[in-house]
Amino acid sequence: MSRLLSWRGWLVFVALAALPLTPWMSKYYMLLAFDALLFGAVAMSLDLLMGYTGLVSFGHAAFFGLGAYSTAVLLERGMLSLWLCLGLAVVVVGLYALTVSYFATTRRGIYFALLTLIFAEVIYTFFRYTQTFGGSDGIQGLPSFQVLPGIAIDAPARLYYLVVVYLLLAYLACHVLVRSHFGQVLVAIRENEDRARFLGYNVQRYKMGVCLISAVLTGLAGALYPGRAAYATPDLLHWSISGEFLIMVMIGGLGTLVGPIIGGAFFIVLQEKISSYVQWYNIVVGVVLVLIVLFVPRGLLGLRQALRERLRGEAAG
Amino acid sequence: MEYLIAVLLPQLLHGVVFGAALGLLALGLTVIFGLLGVMNFAHGELYMFGAYAGIVVIGLTNSFWVALVAAPLLVAALGAVTEVATLRPLYRREPLYGLIITFGLALIFREGARQLFGGDMRRILPPIEGSIPLLGMTYPKYRLFLLAASSILLLAIWLFFTRTRAGIIVRAAVQDAEMLDGLGVNVPRVFTLTFAGSAALAALAGLLLAPVFTVYPQMGVEMILLAFIVVILGGMGSLGGSVVAAFVIGITQSLLTLWMNPQRVAIAIFGIMIVVLIVRPRGFFGREGVLE
Repeated sequence: MSRLLSWRGWLVFVALAALPLTPWMSKYYMLLAFDALLFGAVAMSLDLLMGYTGLVSFGHAAFFGLGAYSTAVLLERGMLSLWLCLGLAVVVVGLYALTVSYFATTRRGIYFALLTLIFAEVIYTFFRYTQTFGGSDGIQGLPSFQVLPGIAIDAPARLYYLVVVYLLLAYLACHVLVRSHFGQVLVAIRENEDRARFLGYNVQRYKMGVCLISAVLTGLAGALYPGRAAYATPDLLHWSISGEFLIMVMIGGLGTLVGPIIGGAFFIVLQEKISSYVQWYNIVVGVVLVLIVLFVPRGLLGLRQALRERLRGEAAG
Repeated sequence: MEYLIAVLLPQLLHGVVFGAALGLLALGLTVIFGLLGVMNFAHGELYMFGAYAGIVVIGLTNSFWVALVAAPLLVAALGAVTEVATLRPLYRREPLYGLIITFGLALIFREGARQLFGGDMRRILPPIEGSIPLLGMTYPKYRLFLLAASSILLLAIWLFFTRTRAGIIVRAAVQDAEMLDGLGVNVPRVFTLTFAGSAALAALAGLLLAPVFTVYPQMGVEMILLAFIVVILGGMGSLGGSVVAAFVIGITQSLLTLWMNPQRVAIAIFGIMIVVLIVRPRGFFGREGVLE
């Protein structure tokens, strides 16, 4: 196996870690960077399913939202330990993911997308109407995490470092995964599911496995979110959020790990910047998405590759 | 007996009426799915545009009936332009791209409607007022008209697909577009016209249901999930299945609201769908191998 992370990869993470030291990082930009990296990580987790395995999940908001709610429930009751919150998120999201993927992975193509969507909608409806969890208002005004008793993650810079560490660990996990035998089988399933089955692989078990990993990574990101926003609302679970996750992956480029991270960060910054100028930012987001699907189906990362190939071709020709 | 007439019967009729309108919405969805392999996420927004186009035309002409003709035509034109501009370049690619591009279109349409018409709830007054006695109860006339109109439309669509040359060409394109192309049919034009037709159906459903529900930019988001469930339940690509499933869902939802609060009903509907998919993976009348 090759090195865990290329020197360029380490450079990026060192740069990200040094970012709060630069003078222009105000509290606002720190939180924006938090969102950008957090949703970048979510998009990367989703791409394990979409790009590597060829399964389109339209229910990832449920994993994200369940993670957020498990944190919110604990924080609301005064259990402030970060590790407890993450642990509960893994258990809750993991159990839900196993249930969904057990049924959804028996179907292919569009059925998988729609089954994940319908299951997620059940979770959305549940939280939207259950007063124990605050109904449509969700759980608001939450306190901060504590890494160890007495050490709270309350400053934007600390939150930011939390998400940088999370992104690094999640990236390394995905990096190892896609290069492992398991990851190779996933690509084989994407390319030709029947052939993978004839080779003797239990395709459903592989699909359930990757669903579980993708869901838990997304759920962990969700569990970190209330640390920044101090709330968990049913809006986080809505299927339009699942759609936004898909957009992030498409913007960045399917079938890579770095692409979706860039796509997620790009989407968050785009949305934030446009919405501060105009009210109709959803139109801009929609138009960007349509243009990308039409003209750059391999996303921003693919665009770079295409340009490089063209330049090289012209130099050679 | 009292309960039966006063409560159960009207609710059952509500369900039938709603089911018929849902059928119109789901038919367009299922035809587009069978033909283009695209699960059209923007279908709910075409339904919404039907209602808003109706409001505009009624504002200009003061007539619901003019709107009932004009609104579907307007939305069909929008559908045709959309298909040519965005979906046509994608036919040779994976269905995933169709799914995602229509999601983007839905975002644009929904936000566009909010910018054009504002975000608040609007109403369209029913063009036929009052109630008539029916089977020992009184029932609003407009709902009966809605039932009749939807049923006639469903029948007309069935006749179109079974009796007319154009309908048979569309069905042939669903089966094997390449062969049809070989026979000299302009397949892209068939796709565009079918998409426009599907948009017109969605718009009709939107306008017909508007006097019963309210009109607002998000109205499509809620309907489309139900329409998806109908299409899956009926079996992807099966026209008859969609209609049957629409009535099943319409009536079930309507009857369940008698004994449950709305969110339980929503969960129950999802539950029914999940159970059906486990027992009959392809829905009521799904054929093997349709886009799996």
